[in-house]
Amino acid sequence: MRLASKASSPPRRRQSFTEFLGRREVMPFLLLVPVLIFFIIWNTIPTLWLLGLSFYRFSLTSGRPPIFAGFYNFDSILNDSAVWLGLSRTFLFVILAVGIETVLGLLLGLLFWGSQKLPGRRVALTLLFTPMVLTPVASGTFWRLIYDPTFGILGSIFRGLGLPSLNFLGDAHLAFGAVLLVDIWMWTPFMVLMTLAALASVPKAELEAAEIDQLSWWQRLRLVILYHGKFILMLGILLRTIDAFKTMDLIYDMTFGGPGSTTEVIAITLYRRAFEDFTMGWSSALAVILLLISIAFTATFIFVLHSRDRKQASLAEEGA
Amino acid sequence: MRKEIITLNRRGLLKGASALGATAALSMPHIARAQDNPLRGKSIHMSILGIAGWVPSRLGVDLAPDFAKMAKDKYGYDVTFSYAEAPFSQLFQKAATSLATRSQEYNIIISDSQWLGALAQPKWILPLDPVIKKNPALDVEWYAPVVEAAYQIYPDGTKKRWGFPQEGDTMGLYIRKDLLEAPGEAAAFQQKYGRKLPMTWEDFEQLSFDDFVKLIAFFNRPEKGYNGFGGQYSREYDFISCPSMSVMRSTGGDVWDPSTGQIEGIFNSSSNAKALKSWVDLLKYQPPSAINYGIGELIDAFAQGKVFSAMQWCAVGPAMIPDALKDKVMVVPPPGFPDKSGKLVRNYIIGGQPWVINAFNDPDHMQVAIDFMEWWYQPETSLSYAQHGGNPCDKATLSRPDFDAMHPWYRTYKYMLNYSSDFWHDPAYAEMLSTQQEAMTAYATGQIKDPQHALDYAACRQQKILFDEGVATKQPSGACTGMRL
Amino acid sequence: MTTWRRHLYHLLLWLIALVFFAPVAWIILSSFKTANQILAVPPVWIFRPTLANYVRVLSDPGMVHSFINSIVLSVTSVLIAVAVAFLAAFSFSRFKPPGTNFLMFLLLSIRMLPGSAAILPVYLMYVGFGWKDSYWALILFYAMFSIPFSVWILKGFIDGVSPRFDETGRVNGASWLSIIAKLIFPQVLPGVIAALIFNFIFVWNEFLFDYIIGGPHTTNVPTALSTGLYSGGGVDWTFVSCVTTLYILPPIVIVYVFQRYLLVGMTFGTVRGEV
Repeated sequence: MRLASKASSPPRRRQSFTEFLGRREVMPFLLLVPVLIFFIIWNTIPTLWLLGLSFYRFSLTSGRPPIFAGFYNFDSILNDSAVWLGLSRTFLFVILAVGIETVLGLLLGLLFWGSQKLPGRRVALTLLFTPMVLTPVASGTFWRLIYDPTFGILGSIFRGLGLPSLNFLGDAHLAFGAVLLVDIWMWTPFMVLMTLAALASVPKAELEAAEIDQLSWWQRLRLVILYHGKFILMLGILLRTIDAFKTMDLIYDMTFGGPGSTTEVIAITLYRRAFEDFTMGWSSALAVILLLISIAFTATFIFVLHSRDRKQASLAEEGA
Repeated sequence: MRKEIITLNRRGLLKGASALGATAALSMPHIARAQDNPLRGKSIHMSILGIAGWVPSRLGVDLAPDFAKMAKDKYGYDVTFSYAEAPFSQLFQKAATSLATRSQEYNIIISDSQWLGALAQPKWILPLDPVIKKNPALDVEWYAPVVEAAYQIYPDGTKKRWGFPQEGDTMGLYIRKDLLEAPGEAAAFQQKYGRKLPMTWEDFEQLSFDDFVKLIAFFNRPEKGYNGFGGQYSREYDFISCPSMSVMRSTGGDVWDPSTGQIEGIFNSSSNAKALKSWVDLLKYQPPSAINYGIGELIDAFAQGKVFSAMQWCAVGPAMIPDALKDKVMVVPPPGFPDKSGKLVRNYIIGGQPWVINAFNDPDHMQVAIDFMEWWYQPETSLSYAQHGGNPCDKATLSRPDFDAMHPWYRTYKYMLNYSSDFWHDPAYAEMLSTQQEAMTAYATGQIKDPQHALDYAACRQQKILFDEGVATKQPSGACTGMRL
Repeated sequence: MTTWRRHLYHLLLWLIALVFFAPVAWIILSSFKTANQILAVPPVWIFRPTLANYVRVLSDPGMVHSFINSIVLSVTSVLIAVAVAFLAAFSFSRFKPPGTNFLMFLLLSIRMLPGSAAILPVYLMYVGFGWKDSYWALILFYAMFSIPFSVWILKGFIDGVSPRFDETGRVNGASWLSIIAKLIFPQVLPGVIAALIFNFIFVWNEFLFDYIIGGPHTTNVPTALSTGLYSGGGVDWTFVSCVTTLYILPPIVIVYVFQRYLLVGMTFGTVRGEV
């Protein structure tokens, strides 16, 4: 086939410009020109800017030019208890949010598995998926009202049930959980979606075989469903992990990172230092550290993806 | 950000008409000026950045059509205004992210008083001394020295001016007069505490903090749907800091030494820790959500009748006293703190905002901005501002015999101007504030148990911020190593 | 399954969907209340709906401007992003130029960064170049942020179209452009739609970038919502609920109409199929 295409361009004729552009050696790069322009202007230059500035002491409001400071910023970050607490809080948030969303998503997904005949299924699924597409600014703000102990609907429900009216976002012991709950509300539907996709990838024949073999519910889940669906679930978990790590607007609009620092995840710390305090040098250094963490996440994501592709390739070979 | 083109509303039109009458009578000599004004015939659009939902900021712009009338009349140019706004916690970001690009996005900015340093240091705003020299009308005589110190001067202790007072503001104690004066309350209070229930403004002037606590404890009636008190405790912006620092300074403490930039040892004194504790202890007499109260939430609580009293800025008087509460509210000085001799001390944090002028304005916009300022301090503008519920700062208006009675909070506002002062005017203001807010709310919400620990943590971090900045002469002490919340 | 058990099962599913929707329903309900009804204790369930909030929001020129901005910013940037991404994805998929994997990796890592870290250097650059509060500067940055996602989705789809199609086209003398337009594009249309709608939802809901590198001219609705929260003193809940209700309609309609693309969209095209 490839030969045929080469042969199709007649030799020894002066090429027109368009033909030159259409050549196999030129074409691939030509198609990449726009994306590379974007990439260089909005990624390479800013990233280099960031890297450079991370070695300087620079505050936008000091009126002084940046002063080269070597690794001072990195040193200051690594010795800052607030950064470490912020990072560990972020990871705790990620683990709890993704963990609960996965389990809940899996359960609800299994429940929705046989829902093909549900009257108004499309509407029901739309309602279920709505929290994901609501702008976090709006959901964060409105949850503040829902949680408000005086005016909030949740407080009223609690009082109606004879329970004490709790101050969800104001109490240092409850705020983290309250924020977590909103994230779970927002993103469990995503794990439901992934579970449904995973279930759809299970071959019907194997399920029928499992039925005939009278495998227990647990065995079916483990041996058949998870065996086939695990890659999709894995991708779902990873995407959620990355997204949860990025969470900012939602929490910021509910608590501003407070009370105290109980809900201050690392993205909020960076936001504050960069855009409230304008300590650009220090913030650049923190952004560089977060960039490294994100690269690690991305690498994991791609690793899982490749292992799925390899697996599918080997399955295809077996099949053949 | 909501952006609105200001149109002449009916009220503005009436005001404008009356102002027009006044200027027409006075302005004969200006006609010559209008003809040779370089802006004559031009059409200029001014953009003002102000605080969202903040009545006085809004008023500054609502009155602007009057200025447009006058400008057309006196200088011969057309001017329109648009108003961009952001909440307190975001306004500085909004201004700074824009000014850093040397942009004219906002020609005039309503800044919070403590930002003067951060705006002046990078030369983003116009130094005003040469302007005032050229326009003596702008050399206004203020009601109290704190006005100049808080809204104009940076650095502290110099004579360099950068801002014009837009809204003067102090704390006041808003009291539900109808509940206070209800039959039987005075006698019941007398019986319970063996002292007279404070009833008049003068009684409250003599009210000590301890007696104030008795008062709010007495009126704390959650079973009837209201609590004794509401204060500000939110982590947002400076909400827990202002009242806490007021208690600290009124009980003999201070927050820093401006001459050496020293924080440690001053801010984290044991008396300050006690002050923080006493402010947080008041939560007992407040609705459970008080821990999240900022200015806005406190307004909601008070205006909805959820609290008997509230320590709140005088600037939000119009929102605190909606029509439903008209004549049911009195505003009195917040409690005093007895010193060793028993004399009551009040040293509260001042609020309020100056106007500042974008240094990157082109000459036309610069001229209009200065004309606008000149107009703002004309006695009739000042008076009109006062009539609408703003808090002017000039001696002429505040000394009017009818001033105190104009609005329920005016007497207290004027009184408290003599007992209020500002805290740090430093470029690192935002950074120092956010670490302090974090520490104070950590204590208030029970994340940590010891107020001293909260102040130690904040003092160490602030000391480091100022040392890194080159303002503080001393490094954080050894006690700060490994300090964490 | 007996009939009543099936009914019970369906009822349960609907209940779950409604539980997740309940907070949104509460927002929508609130948008028809007066300020006092929103804050009423105990909550008001039966009330005379008012349209006053909508009248107020829609007659506020600043707010209308923000709505227009939201539409302009999201539609333009997404179209640009998908066009650019399509070309790149085609190149990656067909020619596998050296560095393909590395570039795909870099592209993805942009999307993995917390927003505040991603916008910081761009802000500094915009300060340096004076690009703040410019439509193009904002649109192109949004496009940049949407490209990685689109490249990932589209590459997956183009990979799925056999190269035989292009070869046949080449043999028949068709130019690359017409091959892309006539042979490839129709086959990967679902991917293009998924990329379009999911980037649209992303830009539509985006707050931080608009807030930091935008300005009074380019304010979108989330930014307007965040800065317009307070008015006349307290939080303006009628404003919040009303704007939110209006703003959430397009995403809800999209989720309903394009439900089958949801999966592709939300997984960078790495998972396909219907639910």
